[in-house]
Amino acid sequence: MKRKQFIKNAALTAAGSMVLPYILPSGRLFARSGSRIANHVVVCVFGGGVRNLESVGKAEGNLMRNMLNGTESISPDIAPGVTVLPTLTGTTLQSQGTLFQKFQYASGPTGHYNAHAALMTGVYSDQSIQLKQPPPFPTIFEYYRKHNSPTNNALNAWWVSNSLGPYPFLNYSSYDGYGAAYGANMIQPFSFFSQYASLGNPVSFTAAEKTKCDMMRDFANGQFKIPTQAASSGMVNSPADAELLQLFLNDMMALLPTVQDPWGVGSSMTGDMKNIYFGTKILERFKPELTVINMTDIDIAHFDYTKYVNAIGLADYALYKLWNTIQTTSGLANDTVLIVVPEHGRNQLPNTVVDAYGRKALDHNNDTMSREIFCLMAGAGIKQGQVISAVQGETIDIVPTVANILGFDTDISSGLLSGRILTEAYT
Amino acid sequence: MKTVKLFRRGLMVLLFSVAMLHIGCNTKTIEDRYIYDIQTKEIYQSASQKQTLKTTTQFVSIAYSDLNNSSITNDQLNKLDIAYQSLGDKKIIEDMIIKTFLQQANSLIPSNTVMRSDISSFVQNTYLRFYNRKPNEFEAWKVKDMIEKNADITPKMVYYTLMTSDEYRYY
Repeated sequence: MKRKQFIKNAALTAAGSMVLPYILPSGRLFARSGSRIANHVVVCVFGGGVRNLESVGKAEGNLMRNMLNGTESISPDIAPGVTVLPTLTGTTLQSQGTLFQKFQYASGPTGHYNAHAALMTGVYSDQSIQLKQPPPFPTIFEYYRKHNSPTNNALNAWWVSNSLGPYPFLNYSSYDGYGAAYGANMIQPFSFFSQYASLGNPVSFTAAEKTKCDMMRDFANGQFKIPTQAASSGMVNSPADAELLQLFLNDMMALLPTVQDPWGVGSSMTGDMKNIYFGTKILERFKPELTVINMTDIDIAHFDYTKYVNAIGLADYALYKLWNTIQTTSGLANDTVLIVVPEHGRNQLPNTVVDAYGRKALDHNNDTMSREIFCLMAGAGIKQGQVISAVQGETIDIVPTVANILGFDTDISSGLLSGRILTEAYT
Repeated sequence: MKTVKLFRRGLMVLLFSVAMLHIGCNTKTIEDRYIYDIQTKEIYQSASQKQTLKTTTQFVSIAYSDLNNSSITNDQLNKLDIAYQSLGDKKIIEDMIIKTFLQQANSLIPSNTVMRSDISSFVQNTYLRFYNRKPNEFEAWKVKDMIEKNADITPKMVYYTLMTSDEYRYY
């Protein structure tokens, strides 16, 4: 071998030996440092099923005075049944962002779970509800955690649900190559705290005692091989993160006595508001990069139209509280995109249930109006004051848009997502 | 007449079999979530026989029974089941549930003095109580050794450790 060739080969071998250890399991050479629009995304499923007619259409007046511009008064016949909370200070979210007035939940049953699943997986599905099974396609949390190394710990991804049933299972999918290892931390705060706290105080160990317990548990676990064919025990946090989470949960339990009315709105404090309130505490504590939080009280529309109208206004109030928390929390302020989108709309024609004000209730059974929703995006990198009134954007666009905002959209295998990035909202 | 005799004999055999089956069932049957006998019995020869993850209800009710020698009330079980469903990280909620059970006044936990008066027996009984098996020789020696060398280890800590270990999650 000639001397030159030898030196060349030696140099290549040395370079290879330095680079190879840094190839990630995903096959990437380095962790993605892809350009981001913002470092945090909060998706709020504004829900329970809202018709555009009453929300952005303002058919009963401007019910969402913190979100939408305008002071249209509430229809006089139902006004006595509607609580108008004071408008919070600051400009409307509409002024601070881009409003898609004619967004679409284009396919699949207009059921709450199906629509939530479509929103969180980017795939429309007509599968029947499987109460205790994860969805078949990867969730946005799994995409985020798998393709965002090294900042992929579960405390950075949260699913804050207002309901139990099938909803807790939306924190990860059964899709091969994704699943529990990339799942989000899920909490249904109100059930958790109310049920758990009623059982009394847990024993607490000192740091020294805990160390001894860990030592003994490490030994015990070392003697037991977890059966490979056993069912998955779900997502788990790292031991250090689990400590932080337990600390947070204990702190939250101490707050329980005040949670009935933390915003001073009296009896108007709804389940939606409490869910958002706990969500703000998660945002303040962990400053997660990806949070999905939902509201569901608006679904009272099945039985009482005026209460539905009322619930829209209260959800708007809670939403702005969420926005204020984002904008006043160091690390989140000016570095977060908030996406607000109902899971689906409601039927054009009412059902037969009449409320105290003579108004008929509304179901959601796949008609055209039950597919018409809105989407509002606000925050870092989003055009302000833009209103898109054409039919544009749909539910399955949320996942690719979130992935693009957080800079990992190009890492997702082609064919998994058919939605597009809502770039028209970007500055 | 012969047919009637045969029928009677058959009936006797059937009744005897049912009676024997009933007696045979008088043990801990985790799969069916019934605990017929609250006395601790060895039902596994080794940890490797445990292959199935306990369900939420099984985990909570067995943990309660193991600590209290009595069954959890439906009300408590329902509350804990809801709390369990409400948190994504099941290890954390399991940890919190065990900590709550350990703090409850009716938990049957031996004193530190009793444990240290006969550590070998304590280890043996603790494994039987929570793992439904005897410790193997190495486990018996190692756990005894850890307790002996660490004066601050209490029975409550040992119970907590075993109940939050991987093996306790399986049957």
